[in-house]
Amino acid sequence: MNDFLLMTGKSNSKLAHAIGKILKKEVSEPISVFSDGEIRVRIESNMRRRHVYIIQPTAPRPNDAIMELLLMIDAAKRGSASEIIAIIPYFGYSRQDRKEMSRVPISASLVASMIEYAGANRILTVDIHSEQEEGFVKIPWDNIYASYTLLPEIKKRKLANLVVASPDKGGVVRATGYARLLAAEGIAIVYKERDLNINDTSKALSMVGDVEGKNVLLTDDMLSTGGTLLSAADFIKSRGAKSVRAAVTHGLFSDEALDKVDKSTVDEIIVTDTMMLREEVVKHPKTTVVSVAPLLSSAIEHIESGESLSHDLILKPSETQ
Amino acid sequence: MKIFAGSANKPLAENIAKKLNISVSPLEIHIFPDDEKRVRVLESVLDEDCVVVQPTSSPVDANYMELFFIVDALKRSGARSVTAVIPYLGYQRQDHIFREGEAVSFSVIVKTLEAVGVDKVITFDLHTIRALEMFKISVVHLSALSLFTEKIKHLGRWPRHNFEDVGGDSSEVNVKERVLVSPDMGGIRRIKILSEMLAPNRNGEGLTGMPYATIVKNRNLATGEITVSEIQGELAKTAIIVDDMIAGGNTVVTAVGALRQRGVEQIFVFATHAVFSQNAPVLLQEALIEKVYVTDTIEIPEGKMFEKLEVLSVAGIIAENL
Repeated sequence: MNDFLLMTGKSNSKLAHAIGKILKKEVSEPISVFSDGEIRVRIESNMRRRHVYIIQPTAPRPNDAIMELLLMIDAAKRGSASEIIAIIPYFGYSRQDRKEMSRVPISASLVASMIEYAGANRILTVDIHSEQEEGFVKIPWDNIYASYTLLPEIKKRKLANLVVASPDKGGVVRATGYARLLAAEGIAIVYKERDLNINDTSKALSMVGDVEGKNVLLTDDMLSTGGTLLSAADFIKSRGAKSVRAAVTHGLFSDEALDKVDKSTVDEIIVTDTMMLREEVVKHPKTTVVSVAPLLSSAIEHIESGESLSHDLILKPSETQ
Repeated sequence: MKIFAGSANKPLAENIAKKLNISVSPLEIHIFPDDEKRVRVLESVLDEDCVVVQPTSSPVDANYMELFFIVDALKRSGARSVTAVIPYLGYQRQDHIFREGEAVSFSVIVKTLEAVGVDKVITFDLHTIRALEMFKISVVHLSALSLFTEKIKHLGRWPRHNFEDVGGDSSEVNVKERVLVSPDMGGIRRIKILSEMLAPNRNGEGLTGMPYATIVKNRNLATGEITVSEIQGELAKTAIIVDDMIAGGNTVVTAVGALRQRGVEQIFVFATHAVFSQNAPVLLQEALIEKVYVTDTIEIPEGKMFEKLEVLSVAGIIAENL
């Protein structure tokens, strides 16, 4: 491992610098913005025949963040980088991964293709919304799991009588995986109904599984407006759970999410820094932030040395036994 | 044919549709709380020739992404062809590497437009015609200059403004006392074309066009500061500055200063694209200018309108080319 470059756009330079610190590498920030809002990239280091890692979650400001990523890839390509690796800890538009209605785009596929056309040689994501998205492009796409980061933090809580819960039926596989990795007593599933025409609102309806007197851990890939997760938490509490915690990879905390956290009976939300978390999220008494910087640093080291990512890094919560 | 309007310039799409005696087809653009957009085409487009109107002015990235999503939705829904009317093409000025280590941002845009399945692009007054070379798909490059010639021909009847330093009389301006001015070397091609279009009599002997001059300026790449080093060509009492776009307005203000310093009494400004970043409207309103003419390639929000501004519409030109 000698000569590779790390760079980042404006969406989560804090994470990029944390990775740089672990790997003892400078992290360049080549993005500037013109007065009319157009982005400009200039990479000052020599990239010829070097691997270039671009660390850029595509949120918040997904459209600008995507453009920054594409332009950095283009600049790296024109600078003769030998391999360009787009590290996208949070992949914006990943929820628009299929035609859930007629005459809509498959936006996630489009964004992935744009990254490929711009010249990326590899994509690395953390907990992508649906793993089928890896098939949107022809280049290698490695998806690693924040369970590597979240599990040690959860284990510190030494939770007895643990039940792992999914806030919706789509997350059952993840919850089952976490239950196995945490040797939990059981799992619970909250069913919710989502009205496509209202887009973001969802409400919990009912659940299967016994949570009475249990310490419950809800798992989900993201917390957006918090509606799904927090209504599930309250529902579980109302069924007599002793405590309810949530482990979430991507903390968007959009809109009034923090207010909802305040009002909710949820005891703690453990979240990673795949995307830049606002100061008020980090400082909120109910949140605990764990960094994916060690995970991503290790992934970079594995890519550089040609070792298997899945062997060492993937504690795949979706693998059921 | 069906016309769709992105959110960047709905009035222009409406005006184009009106010229074609059709109405704009419904499109739903939902913005999620995290700023992701979801586009949905609300009527069948199977085997239809579709037109999407979306200038990619500020917010440029959001406007481009929205355009890409609309085109993707149309193509996946069976549209026969998609013509993207992008009257103002964002990122067009980043069409080559100025300094080592830069991206060619415009080529990323062009590649994406082609990849999502745009069949044809219609645009106006590119900053440099070199931008056209990047496309593999067909591009119809239109110009607002024909709108400008009509206005310029009638400028003679424009009464002089009440600037104290020019005496404030309202006599008509003599045609021979006018000169077209390009505010920089990059605009020479444009100014020459306009000069010829304004030739008094194309059939007779008066084949020489309207006189023109060019401002030679220096831009400090580090500070962005612009200074005028000289003006090539003879000036006249009335100067008509013509440019492709007005962004921050500093180019125009610098040109106005240089022209007035050299005795020009009356200045009109014509530009196709009203980018109007920063406080351009204030700068232009306060500059010693009679009037500023722009087009509606970019929608100008109410807050950026000013008294001296007149907006000409390119809707007719676009409709003729669809």
